[in-house]
Amino acid sequence: MVFDVFFLQQVINGLSIGCVYALMAIGFTLIFGVLNVVNFAHGEVYTIGAFVGLMVITAMAPPLLAVVPLVLAVGAASGVGLERIAFRPFRRFTDEASQKSRAMREATLLSSLAVSIVTREIMMHIFGGDMQGIPSGYLLQQPVAIGPIMVASGSLVIFATSAVMLGALQFLLYRTQTGLGIRAVSNNQLGARYVGINTDRTIVTTFAVGSMLGATAGILVGLYDGAISPHMGFAPGVKAFVAMVMGGLSSIPGAVACALLLGVSESIATEFLSSGWKDLITYSLLVITLVFFPQGLFGHGRERA
Amino acid sequence: MDVNVPDARLMPDTLAPPAAFSGRGRRFAWTFLLLAVAFGAVPAAIVGTGSSYLAQIAITTMIFVILSASLNHVTGTAGLLSIGHAAFYGIGAYAAALLSTKLGLPFVVTLPAAGLIAALFGFLVALPTMRLVSIYFAVATLGIGEMIYVVLLNWVDVTRGPMGIRGIPPIELFGWQADTLLSRYLAVAVIAVACVWVLHRLTHSYYGNALRALREDDQCADSMGINVERLKIESFVVATFFAGIAGALLAHTSAYIAPDNFRFMESILILAMVVVGGLGSLPGAVVGALFMIVLPEALRDIGDYRMIAVGATMFLSILLLPKGMLAEGTALGFVRRSFSRGWATIAGGTPVGWK
Repeated sequence: MVFDVFFLQQVINGLSIGCVYALMAIGFTLIFGVLNVVNFAHGEVYTIGAFVGLMVITAMAPPLLAVVPLVLAVGAASGVGLERIAFRPFRRFTDEASQKSRAMREATLLSSLAVSIVTREIMMHIFGGDMQGIPSGYLLQQPVAIGPIMVASGSLVIFATSAVMLGALQFLLYRTQTGLGIRAVSNNQLGARYVGINTDRTIVTTFAVGSMLGATAGILVGLYDGAISPHMGFAPGVKAFVAMVMGGLSSIPGAVACALLLGVSESIATEFLSSGWKDLITYSLLVITLVFFPQGLFGHGRERA
Repeated sequence: MDVNVPDARLMPDTLAPPAAFSGRGRRFAWTFLLLAVAFGAVPAAIVGTGSSYLAQIAITTMIFVILSASLNHVTGTAGLLSIGHAAFYGIGAYAAALLSTKLGLPFVVTLPAAGLIAALFGFLVALPTMRLVSIYFAVATLGIGEMIYVVLLNWVDVTRGPMGIRGIPPIELFGWQADTLLSRYLAVAVIAVACVWVLHRLTHSYYGNALRALREDDQCADSMGINVERLKIESFVVATFFAGIAGALLAHTSAYIAPDNFRFMESILILAMVVVGGLGSLPGAVVGALFMIVLPEALRDIGDYRMIAVGATMFLSILLLPKGMLAEGTALGFVRRSFSRGWATIAGGTPVGWK
């Protein structure tokens, strides 16, 4: 029987991993939307979120709910800083030739990568390269019974947090002036500037929002897994990037759907395959999707540049 | 081109600068200088110091020169952003290692075979992914690169997984064994120079112009009668072929390979070489490879802070020179001027070729 209890548990675990990917993928999608550039340092924001959470917990031992706003604030700050260092300097070339130039675009992509290398190495110096344990009082690993299924409390917290954050994001994007600005800039940056939107400020806001989501994902995973390291951001970063592209680059619902799909398929794959082969599933899904849907699952057709 | 400098081609003979300073002479001077460094200064330093460390860096640099020049062919010239290049490097390395350790084939067979096997994989990858544009193609190459890495790591029966393959025989040609430091370096350097020369002839030609046209606007190039699909596939196959050659050289010079040599970060390192050197510029790719290999080694004294310095230097070089150290425009201008001057003399003073 396929739908046994164990299988259902794996699906739930997969959904919680998928939620983490989704939180990160949204950050990628938002930033790609406004700038048309992939932010390779997004994984580092996730790591920063986890480490700041750990530092606060070990230093002050606050209640868990107090950690969240702090991580959000640090996430926003690191997003703004990242934009300032890695992206703003490249927007000084505003002429058409530079904006269309592939060399310029690839340069921006690599500048975020260089910043991420520097950040990661600095964190390695401060915290060391090994795994760091989270104090056990904060771990979210207590089993919770829902009918016959046992679920880790961390999964439930991840679901709840993701739901709240997705709701807040929808509200921000569709009910506020700022969200309207973000949507306008992603639609057409030049047009947005013509109608009087402060594009620079909108871009900074987008980075702040995206990085808040990423940092939250980091601390959630830290509490759920119980161990964090300066390298932890790499794998989910790549997976979230894959989810964004599978979803069609500009579609947030698409990115979330694909992130959940990746999470669930990974977690089911561990049941049939040894864990080493798990990543093969993710990337085969990606390649198969792109072969049949060259613009991603939810993307729209190609525009004439 | 600078309008204030009179073009030597347009001057009467009496005013023409001496041959040593004309375009053709200058090109020969540059070529000679580079070859003198590659085959004179570096071997002399290796023999003089007898340091295996120096030889190892020189060999690594040469291998990465091939990698970054080949990535530049597909990403810089043809405009297909590939972030899975290290996987084809890995395929070449494993092909050479397995052919020589399991089947006992000599280097003359394993070197081209590694290139061809990598190119075959490149062709199979290119067929379904060529209709992807921009970032979609990049992510597809990322995915395929990671898939190849996962296979290398987990297919233990064939690749011995994370333990890697040991005891790969050194380079030998018809009985001549490259077993000293100097001969190993020279063998790699000769092959690297040959690869760069082939890529130079491919890039700096009408064929290369067609590739640049499809990079700038593939739809427009298509409407001008350029067979876009075919050119894209060809450029990808050529790039993966040379990546395979580089892999074979790595396998035969280091005698040991493991999957971790061919991870995603390695692809990114190669891409960084191309971008730091100048996207689309072949001399830039060579300079970028030199820079990104030699810089971390030069910074060994600062120990643990080395990677921070590498990241910071990379960031600064991109920030200050976003078009690269040797930008495409400069590089192409130089090649074109020397080409057309060379041809002008051959054709009896009539300017031919590129302007």
